[in-house]
Amino acid sequence: MAYITGVGLVNVDRHYDKGIRGLAFEAASKALDSSMSSEVDFIVVASSLSYLQEPQLDLASYIASSIGLRGARSIAVESGEASGLAAVMTAKTLVESGVASRVLVVGVDKVSDHPSWRAYKHLSMLYDTESDAFYSIGLGGVAGLLMRLYMHVYKVDRLTLAYWPALMHSNAKKNPYAMLRFSITPEKVLEAPPVAEPLTLLDTFPLGDGAAALVVEGSPSRGALAEIAAVESATGYQSVALSDDPLKIESLEVAYMRLVERTTLESIDVVELHDSFTIMGVLELETLRLAERGKAAEAVAQGYFSVGGGGPVVNPSGGLKARGHPIGATGVYQVAEVALQLAGEFPGLQVEGAKGGLVVSLNAAGSSSYIAYLRSVR
Amino acid sequence: MTGWSPARVWRSRIHRYRLIAARCTSCGRAHYPPSNACPYCGSRSLDNVELPRVGRLLSYSVVYTTPFEDKSRAPIVIGLIDLGVAKLIAEVVDVTPEDLEVGVSVEAVFRRVSVDGSTGLIVYGVKFRPRREG
Repeated sequence: MAYITGVGLVNVDRHYDKGIRGLAFEAASKALDSSMSSEVDFIVVASSLSYLQEPQLDLASYIASSIGLRGARSIAVESGEASGLAAVMTAKTLVESGVASRVLVVGVDKVSDHPSWRAYKHLSMLYDTESDAFYSIGLGGVAGLLMRLYMHVYKVDRLTLAYWPALMHSNAKKNPYAMLRFSITPEKVLEAPPVAEPLTLLDTFPLGDGAAALVVEGSPSRGALAEIAAVESATGYQSVALSDDPLKIESLEVAYMRLVERTTLESIDVVELHDSFTIMGVLELETLRLAERGKAAEAVAQGYFSVGGGGPVVNPSGGLKARGHPIGATGVYQVAEVALQLAGEFPGLQVEGAKGGLVVSLNAAGSSSYIAYLRSVR
Repeated sequence: MTGWSPARVWRSRIHRYRLIAARCTSCGRAHYPPSNACPYCGSRSLDNVELPRVGRLLSYSVVYTTPFEDKSRAPIVIGLIDLGVAKLIAEVVDVTPEDLEVGVSVEAVFRRVSVDGSTGLIVYGVKFRPRREG
């Protein structure tokens, strides 16, 4: 059993005045304070871009010492955009195996420290450099061609797909940790500058820095926010070109099958998923069978995944689109947000009475996928 | 992609220049670029197969968010190309994006892929262009 007993979030933004260690310190301090104890016997650091951007190796040791945890055992987890949830999986394994009793997970990345053209280069390395990223795929080349394929195969128009970012911005408005807290209309998405056509700037995440932290315990002495019931994962193809069905995220499908074998999903009231691009959010909903294939965008447009719709509330945080996507930290944000939802303490759009929630995190177009089910303990 | 070591570029020259894929002797499926094991069945028993140089454009994206070294070339078209025995993602050249459409026939051309500043490597490889009529 693994429980979340403390969370600490830094608002996603362009934190020019704070370095990677400062952001990690802020999130870690908040998490430790909220768990009412500063004792930690293991620290798991999730980060991805920092190895290219700082650049700094052995990040876990340097962060541990710089935030006052010298002496703690430490390990770094790098799984691209899925690093955060991979780190939570590691922390859960550590407490359940008895190796550690209190684990601090810290996710941190600074996406806005460098000029955007350099960030695009670093971000393209999330894709396979032997295949897709051998070419200049930039920020969204692969997602862009998946979106066009989706529109072509299912005869879905561009405007229908623009309801996703509009919903994300609407959800983020009350989230104090979100980077983009303003409304946009679906029409505005189409008018925005192109990023990787048919994707526009409003189909993708803002370049922002962030850090999030969690305290994970095996047998908490005080009340927990939520239980991490199960975390599962699977690796996928190196490129969507290898897949017979590029519109299905195979690694996520396998991870989800493993998750339902491992635990009972009594109630899915809230989902925080990985909408690095509009099309990725849509494909994840369909891969998880929360929507029929080819129908997720329409369901979003009709309000099915909004509060009071027929389905689970998807990304009440605003998602990667509007909360932001500090690459290696994002999975930690998502787990913290769902834990707060299940405790009834999320400071933004709270899903009333939420009993269970899913967290989905993946790298690129599914080189690996991670999925977690969190359960309310209150 | 820039920042590659000369040795890495040299190691991949054969399959990149000649479009050599790996074919699994167990399940019969081909994949490109060639790995050490079959991505479909995991078999380590592979042989080489030269891919057809003509295929069909299944989808594409017009990329504006390029790294600095490719800024002058933006927008860059990235295509998902079906060569029959295998699919791959590659740059599509010699076309204005507005003239492109899903389903067109494309053919392989040998091109410069990246230039790493004034002193770094110039990397070559295969790109695709729409096939001329007739």
